[in-house]
Amino acid sequence: MSAIWIVAENPDWAAVMVSAAKSVSADALLTVFIPPLPADGLWEDYAPSLVAKAKAEKPSLILVGTSKRGRDLAARSAALLDAPCFSDAKNLALSGNTFSCDTNVYGGSAVRSDSTTEPLVLATIGPKAFEPDPAGISGATAGTLDYTPGKVKVTGRKPRPPQTVNLGEATKVVSVGRGFSEEKDLAAARELAAALGAEVSCSRPIAEFFKWLPEECYVGISGQIIKPQLYVAVGISGQAQHTFGVRDAKVIVSINKDAECLMHQNADYCITGEWQAVIPALVKAVKA
Amino acid sequence: MKKIAVCYKWVLSDADIRVNEKTRELDMEKCKPQVNDYDRNGLECGVQIKKATGRELVGITCGASVAASAKDALSRGLDAVYYVEDPALAETDKVGSAKVLAAAVKAIDGVDVVICSEGSSDDYAQQTGPRLAALLDMPSVSYVVKVGAGGDAFTLERKLEEGSEVVEVNAPVVITVSPEVGDAPIPGVKDIIGAKKKPANALTLAGIGISPDAVKPRATRVSVLAPATSRRKQVLNPEGVSLDQAAAALVKQLSADGIL
Repeated sequence: MSAIWIVAENPDWAAVMVSAAKSVSADALLTVFIPPLPADGLWEDYAPSLVAKAKAEKPSLILVGTSKRGRDLAARSAALLDAPCFSDAKNLALSGNTFSCDTNVYGGSAVRSDSTTEPLVLATIGPKAFEPDPAGISGATAGTLDYTPGKVKVTGRKPRPPQTVNLGEATKVVSVGRGFSEEKDLAAARELAAALGAEVSCSRPIAEFFKWLPEECYVGISGQIIKPQLYVAVGISGQAQHTFGVRDAKVIVSINKDAECLMHQNADYCITGEWQAVIPALVKAVKA
Repeated sequence: MKKIAVCYKWVLSDADIRVNEKTRELDMEKCKPQVNDYDRNGLECGVQIKKATGRELVGITCGASVAASAKDALSRGLDAVYYVEDPALAETDKVGSAKVLAAAVKAIDGVDVVICSEGSSDDYAQQTGPRLAALLDMPSVSYVVKVGAGGDAFTLERKLEEGSEVVEVNAPVVITVSPEVGDAPIPGVKDIIGAKKKPANALTLAGIGISPDAVKPRATRVSVLAPATSRRKQVLNPEGVSLDQAAAALVKQLSADGIL
């Protein structure tokens, strides 16, 4: 019987990984670690303690929640344990001694399936990769990790500002990309959104580099992953990192001056043209 | 002299990936190698730390075919590039590449600040920075969006899901940066010409003490397939159709789909 360890920042995420662990092996011995956030040190600095325990007790699989802290802790632990680590793993399976799983590559434009017979494997698991186990973590053993402060001192923590939009709930979304060269141009996108009754979102550079929209507005593999009924991409080239965030939208419309752009390849309906000309035509048609 | 080492990955541009509609396999033939987008921000971060602390700035990369990357990387503000090129690295994974990069850092005299970016545009596994830190026994600070540097002391702001975290740490340190740390300027003609005069140093696996076994992949790649999509890709304004007609057709179609 194999031992599977689960490391999470909170019980909810641990419950998701209980499901992941049970999908690998229904009768595995589960141990759950939910180490508390140290007041003035990094959570990731639990890594050496986890590694020492793993060397002594030899679990066959360690699952870690893919928060940013979790990714860091998992990668560091994997390096110290000389083990492979699969990031954002899905479809985990164990057959005999062979562990296999899927990971996204090329910004989500493809899925890679790997298999390995390594004695110890680490994998990070997304918060929505599995439905949380109905019994939560109650069936698992609670493990504890010692904390030895590392050389990094935390001097301040600031919660993120409250979100102003909830893209996850929006049924229609108009999204803008680098086809817009000035912040004031977003007025046109807002006008289209208003006509459609849609929220406004964007690609990563619009939020992170230009800061024209708040960060919670950017759609993509590292941002919001949404499933609206309608997604209208205006001036978005459609790199895989972006389209991954809307792959489950019911209908995708792409408006772009470049007929060859990747967004057109990932859309249901495409209009090729400058947004300056397409948006007014579309607003008129919606209102007609 | 103390050095900053920025690790970068020479990856195939994913903008030109085409999918074979029948087999779902990826056709990478048109993809050109380039400095990983995320690493361009890492390189620029290195430039800023060099300005603030007076350290020398070097780049490190490894792979099966990376010598050609040196000129590009050198045009982005580096003083020198060290690269490990070996056919054995074609199939290596994160376990192996982190070992190679760590050994390269140790082989270069005086590196006490290592910069990585959060991930690469191909795998985006986000492991290399923290793995390197562990192997080098240096503190790891990841997802950094702001860097304050003076001498050996660093004040770093991390951006996490729940908010931000400000930390203080002294070199030696591995800093893994997110793109927000700063937009990378596009190299100008002067930078590109200047790059030709800067040193690109080849390191060998044997020379940095890495055995062929250490870079063997630890997992077998079973398949790499694009997910099946059912998008219609219908162009509403083929030649001869005006934008007004296309817009009206779209609204009609969205109504028929039950969206509007």
